[in-house]
Amino acid sequence: MNRPELEGTAHLLDELDKKLMVVLRDGRTLIGYLRSVDQFANLVLHRTIERIHVGKEYGDIPRGVFIVRGENVVLLGEIDAQKEANLPLTQVSVDDILDAQRREQESKQDQQRLLTKALKERGLNLMPDLTHDDMF
Amino acid sequence: MLPLSLLRTAQNHPMLVELKNGETYNGHLVSCDNWMNINLREVICTSRDGDKFWRMPECYIRGSTIKYLRIPDEVIDMVKEETAVKNRGRDTKGIKSQRGRPATRGNFGGRGGKSGNIGGRNLNQKIKAK
Repeated sequence: MNRPELEGTAHLLDELDKKLMVVLRDGRTLIGYLRSVDQFANLVLHRTIERIHVGKEYGDIPRGVFIVRGENVVLLGEIDAQKEANLPLTQVSVDDILDAQRREQESKQDQQRLLTKALKERGLNLMPDLTHDDMF
Repeated sequence: MLPLSLLRTAQNHPMLVELKNGETYNGHLVSCDNWMNINLREVICTSRDGDKFWRMPECYIRGSTIKYLRIPDEVIDMVKEETAVKNRGRDTKGIKSQRGRPATRGNFGGRGGKSGNIGGRNLNQKIKAK
């Protein structure tokens, strides 16, 4: 650490120009090189890809340069190039992963509908998806 | 180069802004401020599910509602060039100050007058010597 006054505090300056995985509050995963941060943890990501995981498969979509508003970040961590080379996952094409993602979402929705129906029959009114729109 | 300075550099460039509610706005950046509030022109707004579209000549977006902005690759290249030029300027200044009056660093760009500065410096040196 090059700043003794910051010893022990979490900060991002050490991560500059490293390849990072960033998870956003909406669940999306971005992987890119961190070029800049500020006091709000706003990030600049360069050569970014969006990685979509479904089960043991994943697909990468090239996205370019991101300015991410800090409050939307859940976590970020450095990507180990060696470990990345032998992931226990298989890469598939963008179309395939988008297809798989859609199918996964549909099955989740079906499940949710069944659950809501079952609960309703037992006198419980579950309000689905009300939590989702106010992500402020 | 701070994220918001990069955004300022991206003025007049096309960009994609995604809001926290999932809506996306495609347009050219007109202006922005320190709160990330932005003005776009020639905007296409897309609903969260990507099934509805609206065109509008201009729009204003409050910074706090933004999730992220995607900007063209060339903007970062522009920044790299700019900072390289600036650093070159700074280097030459440094050489000059080393020759003429040493250690003008920390003098906030020469404010406060030379003599006062030199006096202050000498004082500091005395303290250090003790």
